[in-house]
Amino acid sequence: MTSSAISVIILLLSLAAFAAGRQRSLATVGGRRSDLHSLPRHYGYFAASLVILPSTLILVLWLTFGDFVLERMTMNSIPEGAVATEGVEDHLVLNRVRIAVDQGDRVEKDPTILAAAKFYREAHGEAVWVTFAAALLAGLAGLAFALKATSPEFRARNKVETIMRVVLIACSTLAVLTTVGIVASLLFESLRFFQQVPISEFLFGLKWSPQTALRADQVGSSGAFGAVPLFAGTLLISLLAMAVAGPIGLLAAIYLTQYASGRVRAVAKPALEILAGVPTVVYGFFAALTIAPLFRDMGLSVGLDIASESALAAGVVMGIMIIPFVSSLSDDAITAVPRSLSDGSLALGATPSETIRKVILPAALPGIVGAFLLAVSRAVGETMIVVMAAGMQPNLTANPFEAVTTVTVQIVALLTGDQEFDSAKTLSAFALGLVLFVVTLFFNMIAIRVVRKYREIYD
Amino acid sequence: MKKYLLGTIAALAFIGSTGAHAQSRDQIRIVGSSTVFPFSTAVAEEFGRTTNFKAPIVESTGSGGGLKLFCGGVGTAHPDITNSSRRIKQSEVDMCAANGVSEIVEMKIGFDGIVMAAAKTSPSMTLALHHIYLALAAQVPAPGTDGGEGHLIPNPFKRWNEIDPSLPNEEIVVLGPPPTSGTRDAFVELALEVGCDFFKGNAALKKSNENKHKQVCQTVREDGAYVEAGENDNLIVQKLQADGRAVGVFGYSFLDQNSDVLQAFPVAKDDAEAVEPTFEAISSGDYPVSRSLYVYVKKAHVGVVPGIKEFLTEFTSEATWGDMGYLADRGLIPLPEDERATVAEDVAALKPLSLK
Amino acid sequence: MTTPSKIDSPTLWDSKEMQRRTARRYRQERIFRAAGLGAVAISALFLVVLLGNIISQGTGGFFQTYIETEVELPVKVLGDPRTMTPEEFANSVRRANMLGLVAKSLEETFPEVTSRSEKRALIKIFSTGVRGQLAQFVTENPNVVGTRQKLWLLASDDIDQVVKGNIDTETDEGDRRVSDRELAWLQKLEDAGRVDVKFHTTFLTSGDSRNPEMAGVWGAVVGSALTLFVTLILAFPVGVLTAIYLEEFAPQNRFTDFLEININNLAAVPSIVFGLLGLAVFIGTMHLPRSAPLVGGFTLALMTLPTIIIASRAAIKAVPPSIRDAARGLGASPMQVIFHHVLPLAMPGILTGTIIGMAQALGETAPLLMIGMVAFIVDIPSGITGAATALPVQVYLWADSPERAFAEKTSAAIMVLLFFLIMMNAVAIKLRQKFERKW
Repeated sequence: MTSSAISVIILLLSLAAFAAGRQRSLATVGGRRSDLHSLPRHYGYFAASLVILPSTLILVLWLTFGDFVLERMTMNSIPEGAVATEGVEDHLVLNRVRIAVDQGDRVEKDPTILAAAKFYREAHGEAVWVTFAAALLAGLAGLAFALKATSPEFRARNKVETIMRVVLIACSTLAVLTTVGIVASLLFESLRFFQQVPISEFLFGLKWSPQTALRADQVGSSGAFGAVPLFAGTLLISLLAMAVAGPIGLLAAIYLTQYASGRVRAVAKPALEILAGVPTVVYGFFAALTIAPLFRDMGLSVGLDIASESALAAGVVMGIMIIPFVSSLSDDAITAVPRSLSDGSLALGATPSETIRKVILPAALPGIVGAFLLAVSRAVGETMIVVMAAGMQPNLTANPFEAVTTVTVQIVALLTGDQEFDSAKTLSAFALGLVLFVVTLFFNMIAIRVVRKYREIYD
Repeated sequence: MKKYLLGTIAALAFIGSTGAHAQSRDQIRIVGSSTVFPFSTAVAEEFGRTTNFKAPIVESTGSGGGLKLFCGGVGTAHPDITNSSRRIKQSEVDMCAANGVSEIVEMKIGFDGIVMAAAKTSPSMTLALHHIYLALAAQVPAPGTDGGEGHLIPNPFKRWNEIDPSLPNEEIVVLGPPPTSGTRDAFVELALEVGCDFFKGNAALKKSNENKHKQVCQTVREDGAYVEAGENDNLIVQKLQADGRAVGVFGYSFLDQNSDVLQAFPVAKDDAEAVEPTFEAISSGDYPVSRSLYVYVKKAHVGVVPGIKEFLTEFTSEATWGDMGYLADRGLIPLPEDERATVAEDVAALKPLSLK
Repeated sequence: MTTPSKIDSPTLWDSKEMQRRTARRYRQERIFRAAGLGAVAISALFLVVLLGNIISQGTGGFFQTYIETEVELPVKVLGDPRTMTPEEFANSVRRANMLGLVAKSLEETFPEVTSRSEKRALIKIFSTGVRGQLAQFVTENPNVVGTRQKLWLLASDDIDQVVKGNIDTETDEGDRRVSDRELAWLQKLEDAGRVDVKFHTTFLTSGDSRNPEMAGVWGAVVGSALTLFVTLILAFPVGVLTAIYLEEFAPQNRFTDFLEININNLAAVPSIVFGLLGLAVFIGTMHLPRSAPLVGGFTLALMTLPTIIIASRAAIKAVPPSIRDAARGLGASPMQVIFHHVLPLAMPGILTGTIIGMAQALGETAPLLMIGMVAFIVDIPSGITGAATALPVQVYLWADSPERAFAEKTSAAIMVLLFFLIMMNAVAIKLRQKFERKW
């Protein structure tokens, strides 16, 4: 009997409870539905939820804690000193027991372990039955209560709806919990980081070189955690991206809303959406293998020294990626400008381009600014393109031909591999994450503000 | 209503399937050096294909990072095997022991040379170990001195020809591995430290002030001439191809894979003849910057996680690590035959490591 | 020369000055329009270049070079299927020295190759995967033991790259991975018509490998599917129920405002931050297994939740109030209004939003890197708690591999990834078209 089987049985029971509750309600009024407070099926739902909720609770408890208890019992069942543990911790023995449970004596030969495995199997079997019985009892108790409560006056629908409402609220709080989780985990690890490295050094230090010694006898790595070069690199690449995406995205939005025929729109908009739907890892591959060498060769042919991991390549490809982002948001902003404004301008003899530049764009400006801000926040947080195409060199430079590194690149570099939660190196990734979170949050807040304000003008 | 029922069924089935019972681990987990990664993945794959066991999961974390994870403790949450491109240090053995990992089986699997290489299109150079030291150390002897206490200055060299006129007039940009990497440790030990002792003042420090000696000879400059290029040696190779100034530091196997685009620099020890990093020169020990590669196994996990012993048998079979084995095809330089026999025997007997 | 201003008199439309001005304005108009068209054209060009680049590189990844070889399959080496159980026979075949058999057949083709080192080089024109290929063939057809069979065997990745023309054979011998000697052998086989590039099903059916010619995407596809399954189970119900609450039941108070701002902000949080969350909470605190689709699914679920909530709210909002009023007028309770009338009508929109959210999750790489789904895994993942990679992570891993042949495998894997994305989006679009209603 597995827990999935138990779930199925609980489910069947709740179906039965539904039928029973429904029947019962009809029985209490002798089949005259109009005498019931709620529809018969509401009594059914009420009964079913009283079955599902307690028994699922028991099942969840079993799944969360059951194995732990069983393991303890199994370990206690092994006679002291019977397995050559030699100070080795229990969970190793336990894994052997588990393997023996899974695979029998194919791998495991030690009779003590096999005995423990047998014990575990039997105890597990019993425990499953106990769980099953408990779940069943709880379900039946719920059912009995529901049936007892069933009377023509019983407000079954209201009860069911209350239960439903609680479930709805519980679901909505998950979104809050996510935010709390993000903030808490980032903040907690960052605080530990700032105990080792002063926050002022992190925010204003000019040198990033997270080479801390890994062992006591390793020398030569002082470790500098000044994140300014990373911020500068992120800023440089984001600006390059915006230099590409801003004009192209905005002009494309203008053309598509103001000039393009329906046919062009029908083709161009989905094409832009495809550009938005391409996974970033694909852009990264494209940037690293195609664009970066191309730029380098182009640079060489005109005598420019462009690094293979130049900020330029990563920035331009990232710009391509956020074109659709800018264009669709600007599109919305432009379409939201009341028709009367442009009609008025055209009627006064302005050409379409004059209307756009002098009337529509100023009116749509808040929305467009919002779009740009959102695009910047997107560029700042983008990871795969820079991981694959930008460098690891924390250069403090504004030269797009040189290699720079970004916040996200460093987070990935610091966290892939060495996973210990105690070195300043690992913790600094969380501090960087916190900065990233705060900055994107800030951009987003401003963007929302700006857009809200603009709405007030025409509504 | 049917839809919601279906949803509930799915959700319950999901709950049921997640934790039926806590999973046992029947797959070997390997972490560690990116240099050994291509070899251990090849063995892992072959092992999975030719036996009834699942193929081990291999993660590339760097030698130091791997040993750290490996020494985290015993139990299924910790890896069974770690690869290392240098020998385990006493401090790491202590860390292991502190976490209950008392018995470690060491398996030396072969040699690797650390090469300094650049793109084929870059100017070639012949380096001596002290050139490397002068180019990459944080502190170097002041002009006209032999180093040692009071004669050290922060590294002033920006171009190779400032170190030695025989070297090209090119900016010093060296892409190398970070401290988590065994390549870095071995490089520091075999190239920087030896090159450092070329200067008598520095060498004398070793006796008078060992800590100072360590600091002088092992500290890599952090002013941008040495760039930590990450654990991933492949990335270094790709970067070299595009950046003509850059010189890379990585394992011989990567040079072997990319011999069509990279050129390795001959390296000389002291004033001896410079040696090209070739298969023969490394296995004979003529090439000065060569090192042994290791695999460490947690003895406590043998028999717990199925297949570890069989995996070691596969690793130490002639078809794998022999002169004609498939690891040699991937650039591993095999141990001499008699050493292979000893190691294989020790590993089969699970002889625990002792550093003394 | 100055022209007097003519503010008070009617505009002289046919004056030279005026014509010049109009011409200039029209020119500006044309330039502006051209710039807009240019922007659209550039975007389209980017798309074409990107996809064209991937497809032209990746198509080769679905094909692999095979070499026809006549192999003797002696009982002595493989074992006798008539005296063994199928399982024993399979084990015996698996242990057999298959490469030796192939080497023998090569000796017949190349009698001039005699030295040991040359023979060793010669067998290298085949992939090591030939072992598995032959073993599988023999296990499935036990009656071939003791006969000679003409078989198409997998060539090594270097040979494959030469045949596909990805290695320039004109360059200096030292500058390429394939020697002149190997090229001569290959030429001889080609002249005999024994070399062919065929569609390579292994790429679609097997897991990762260190050998490009044996590597496949199936393991990653299954890993992605398991991850998305977890994501969907978690994010869909929670997302829809949250949307219902916020849109229909939530009172106007501080908490609801906070909730709303919160969700909007979550949608803008970079995906890598969710990876950090997954690492700290699911792995660091809850000790769930590393590299598991379960953790990946949880992480991606939190990431897609805002997308699903926002799309669902929009869909629910789009249902006209008249429907609600009518239902309420007939005595339905608020809950009944929602679940009986509004939700079914909003469902197409909700599903569209969900599919788009899932497509985003499918393409996401960064958070998965954080939680360790980047290991080398040969086996096809079997459950949501075992180790697995996902399709985009596989792309990332292959993009970093040194073997030249992985470049086309990477592009081919991208094509597989894009195929799934396009399918999902196509379903979403169809759904939208089929059920879209104008109220």
